[in-house]
Amino acid sequence: MRKRTLGKRAVALTMASLMVAGLAGCGGDKGGSDSKVKEDGSIDTSKHEVINMLVLGNKPTNGRLEAMLDKLNPILTEKVNAELEFTYIEWTDWQTQYNLKLLSGDTSLDLICTATDWLYGWENAKKGAFMPLSEDMLKTYAPKTWAQVSEDDDWDICKYEDEIYFIPEDNYVQYTNQGMFYRGDWAKEAGIPDGTISKFEDLTTYFKWIKENKPDCIPWDVPGKNLTGGVLGGYIASKTPYCVINGVGVGNFTDFWGVMTDDPTTVMSPYMEDDSIYEAAELMKEWNDMGVWREDVLNFDGDSREEMYAGTSGADQHHAQTYYSTIVPNMNAKQPGSDPKFYYWGMENQNVSKPLKLHGACAISANSQHPERALMVYDLLRNDEECYRLLNYGIEGEDYVVTDDGKLGHPDGWDQSTMALGSNFWMGRNDDLELQDSTWWDGTADFIENMNSFAYDYPFENLIIDTTSIESKQAALANVLSEYIPQLAYGKYDDPAAAIDEMREKLKAAGYEDVKASIQKDMDAFVKTNGEVTIK
Amino acid sequence: MKKSNKIKLDKSTMVLKIISYVVITLWAIICILPFILIISASFSTESVISKEGFGLLPKGFTLTAYSWVFRYPKQILGSYVVTILMTVFGTLIGLFIIAMTGYALQRKDFPFRNGLSFFIYFTTLFSAGMAPTYIWVSRYLHLQGSYMAVFLQLLMTPWLIILMKNFAKSVPYEITESGKIDGAGDFRIFISLIFPMLKPALATVGLFLALGYWNEWYQSSLYLGSSVDYKPLQYYLYSIINQANALKNSVAGANVTITALPSNTLKMATAVVATGPIVFLYPFVQKYFISGITVGAVKG
Amino acid sequence: MKKKQSQEMKVAMTAGKTGRKKSFGKTLYNNRVLLLMCLPAVVFFIVFCYCPLPGVWIAFTNYNFRDGIFGSPFAGLDNFKFLIDSGQLWLLTRNTILYNLAFILLGNVFQIAIAVMLNEVRRKWFKKVSQTVMFLPYFISVVLIGAIAFNILNYDTGALNTLLRETGGDPIKIYSMAGVWPFVIFFCQMWQQTGYGSVVYFAAICGIDSSMIEAAEVDGATSWQRIRYIILPSLKGTFIILLLFALGGIMRGNFGLFWNLVGGANSQLFPTTDIIETFVYRTMTTQNNFATSSAVGLYQSVFGFALVMFSNWLVKRIDPDYALF
Repeated sequence: MRKRTLGKRAVALTMASLMVAGLAGCGGDKGGSDSKVKEDGSIDTSKHEVINMLVLGNKPTNGRLEAMLDKLNPILTEKVNAELEFTYIEWTDWQTQYNLKLLSGDTSLDLICTATDWLYGWENAKKGAFMPLSEDMLKTYAPKTWAQVSEDDDWDICKYEDEIYFIPEDNYVQYTNQGMFYRGDWAKEAGIPDGTISKFEDLTTYFKWIKENKPDCIPWDVPGKNLTGGVLGGYIASKTPYCVINGVGVGNFTDFWGVMTDDPTTVMSPYMEDDSIYEAAELMKEWNDMGVWREDVLNFDGDSREEMYAGTSGADQHHAQTYYSTIVPNMNAKQPGSDPKFYYWGMENQNVSKPLKLHGACAISANSQHPERALMVYDLLRNDEECYRLLNYGIEGEDYVVTDDGKLGHPDGWDQSTMALGSNFWMGRNDDLELQDSTWWDGTADFIENMNSFAYDYPFENLIIDTTSIESKQAALANVLSEYIPQLAYGKYDDPAAAIDEMREKLKAAGYEDVKASIQKDMDAFVKTNGEVTIK
Repeated sequence: MKKSNKIKLDKSTMVLKIISYVVITLWAIICILPFILIISASFSTESVISKEGFGLLPKGFTLTAYSWVFRYPKQILGSYVVTILMTVFGTLIGLFIIAMTGYALQRKDFPFRNGLSFFIYFTTLFSAGMAPTYIWVSRYLHLQGSYMAVFLQLLMTPWLIILMKNFAKSVPYEITESGKIDGAGDFRIFISLIFPMLKPALATVGLFLALGYWNEWYQSSLYLGSSVDYKPLQYYLYSIINQANALKNSVAGANVTITALPSNTLKMATAVVATGPIVFLYPFVQKYFISGITVGAVKG
Repeated sequence: MKKKQSQEMKVAMTAGKTGRKKSFGKTLYNNRVLLLMCLPAVVFFIVFCYCPLPGVWIAFTNYNFRDGIFGSPFAGLDNFKFLIDSGQLWLLTRNTILYNLAFILLGNVFQIAIAVMLNEVRRKWFKKVSQTVMFLPYFISVVLIGAIAFNILNYDTGALNTLLRETGGDPIKIYSMAGVWPFVIFFCQMWQQTGYGSVVYFAAICGIDSSMIEAAEVDGATSWQRIRYIILPSLKGTFIILLLFALGGIMRGNFGLFWNLVGGANSQLFPTTDIIETFVYRTMTTQNNFATSSAVGLYQSVFGFALVMFSNWLVKRIDPDYALF
């Protein structure tokens, strides 16, 4: 008995000590400012700092990034006594790793690439992963950026509870609406007029033709493991006036909540309330039965883009900018005469929203040890021509050349898919310093102009949904979706309609109405302060 | 005896013998078959494999896949170094701590042995679970992205300590006694008298630890992701099997596109290279290991 | 200094007697070396097992990063409510327990069968080679097992379907057939564990007093009888201990195997393959949903704890010798 009590006391003692250890571990430490403004107004940069930038993209392994940094860092050191370092989140596991990285409170991060529509920007701002940026701070340490963004009057869209959390990539035109890349030459042979797919059903024709005529090619060799939602969302956007509300994604199904543009203040989910999902699921079943993707699509993880270049996949899915910057030049080089084309969601019903100013943005890590210097570096990267070109294009003569007409070109033998720099600076590109890329599709300007002619402005940049109280219900919804959506998206149910009915029952049980009501409340408040919303 | 033996080779015994030989042979074949499949795939030609699938014999024998693995060996060598370092140091340190603890916990004259044993055993009964542990390790211990997150968490398990404790129990207490008489301290007794006697136990627990480190991919997937340059070997394998891009990076510097790579055969060749060493390690420790798990299992 | 074995008891006794008078600090001091020897392990378990424990509170919150574990809004049982209402928790529990029961019961039976057969085999080289070969899968990481399975079972290039096509059969869409996966998973588990388990049992058989077997042989017992009346009963102890150990972990699954075989996206297979661990890992890593993940984890711990306590109590009533604690 005696030993027992002793043992218990030992346990109690150790438990007590662990509590202390636990508490001690919780106390975070914030580094004091080492870039103080001196009395004469200049900034004290006597201490050398390493600024760590988190970017999304595949870690380049061809040595070009290192070569570039060898040139860039001396410049940064000379100007602000700092050097730049990269941390990569790779595409293969970005949905997991990005959030985990921020969540871990890693103190080595300074500049973080984010976005409100696809990179959980608001979610992370609300979760406290980003540092609120005061106007003084921005004015002092990133004056050029401050001036330009102020001029465009874009700080308001970066605010949450009156604090600025992002520096928007607002001086850069790009279209990032999603769609399908396909080969015009094959589309023509498939009997599609002009070889141009203009509605969802044409894709079926196209895929069917490939299946029948190109035995070595999978119509769309999609890695379903990564793209669990498939093109359900694309179908819905093309058949209904659905507009997604950003920042309130359910799990990684980011397009679950939105509005119909003809009733733009009523929150709803087409997965729950619109019939288009039935048609979409039926079509996907048709595609699956046809063999558009491989049978084991949900366990497959390949690279359909590379396969499209190699002629083993007939299509690939991503956004417009990828199309005119990457797909066209690569396809023209590797599949000459393939006439790569882009069918974007919403083409048939003109349901496309203009690019978001926060599709790319820079945030400062809440745990950054030297946020001031990070801003100084960012200001240079974004606004200093020499730094900008090094960072985005690499070393002149080796990675890029400026053509006689002032465009961006590349030395002979340069191959984008193997020799790209991979700096992925999507948080501060700047049209003032951008060189027009000579390798890009020459129809880019026309394409953008055409899009501008009918695309509407995303009306909800300032609408921030308070998700704290609905977190567990959202989780329950995500849980249901993660069970049903992959199978619907890849046509794996024998009776999709029945599966959807079942899914809807479960979504209802998971608290669909409650979440909807909560979001609607935020929407009503938004309407109250911003006035009636019209989408056009 | 010999005579009676012959008599007992009656029909049923014969049948039993034949069944035994057949079943064991069949099961052994089943055990070895997948290895043959992988090895033969690694020597096959990609184009044939991707059309016809895997077979028991190499289809279009070629060394292409291996030449890819070793032409740009930076990644796999890096992974090897990381894994070997972790395995060696993890096993040595873990083994030492486990042996020390196991010995102390079975000492009859150690008043805290029951309390501490239960303190350790309790962790198998009730655990915080994946998510709280993850948050603790990454957010409070700041080990996200650090090899330490993987290295430390694999150092020991309660089960191995219990196993070691049971082994140590089988060492007669007199040995400790005699050490005391000679005036040696507890630590000294452990190091010079007990430790050498625990050889089979050390081999067993050591192999469990080594196996744990070598085959580790799960902690890496949580804590390392793509934030380290060199992933531990099995996680590296996990990545290239599951992620097309990782495969491309595996031949870093080759300046190739994914489609130019013999992806299936390359995966299998990497699997062979990543798995080989631990399989070869086994025969060397087999003797100790088998006696070790036996003692451990029988005594609970 | 006291002397020899007979004094051993005395040592313990005096320690016991004086201990009552001695202060706790003194006891600590007297055992400082042994305590220090335990310290690294104790610190380890504190840091990696006890410290995360308060974190189970997450299960009762709408967890968000900024407010942390204890600052996030309280959600009561919300995180559990849906899991229960939707039947998810039941499904996970059922799968986890059924898989474990199959692994434990059928697995052990199979391992014993192999061990008994190994004992019947007389050729030494055969014994040795087959043991080594059967042990081989134990050394393979689950990552590789997943890859092997995919390469055998996948629809387009899998070895099995290749064989079927060559022989004129219809290929099977195994990765769409939830019904066959319990068998696939069970087989993979057996493939990996049988060698290990049968070696344990075989060693136990070798430990049987050979005079008993010889006596039986003299009495004219057949091999069947020998197995039935001597070998199998003597394995009872090992079997029960292994069983008890396994029962303690009945709510835990061989996560790595399931994850590598099924993956996180193929929801067609979830109804028959989702176990608690895979669900927890998936909700945490692909949905960043720490609250639900914690809720299921907590349920697993509590339910598992209760099960161990119950089975231990049961065993104690039947035969206290076999009780775990």
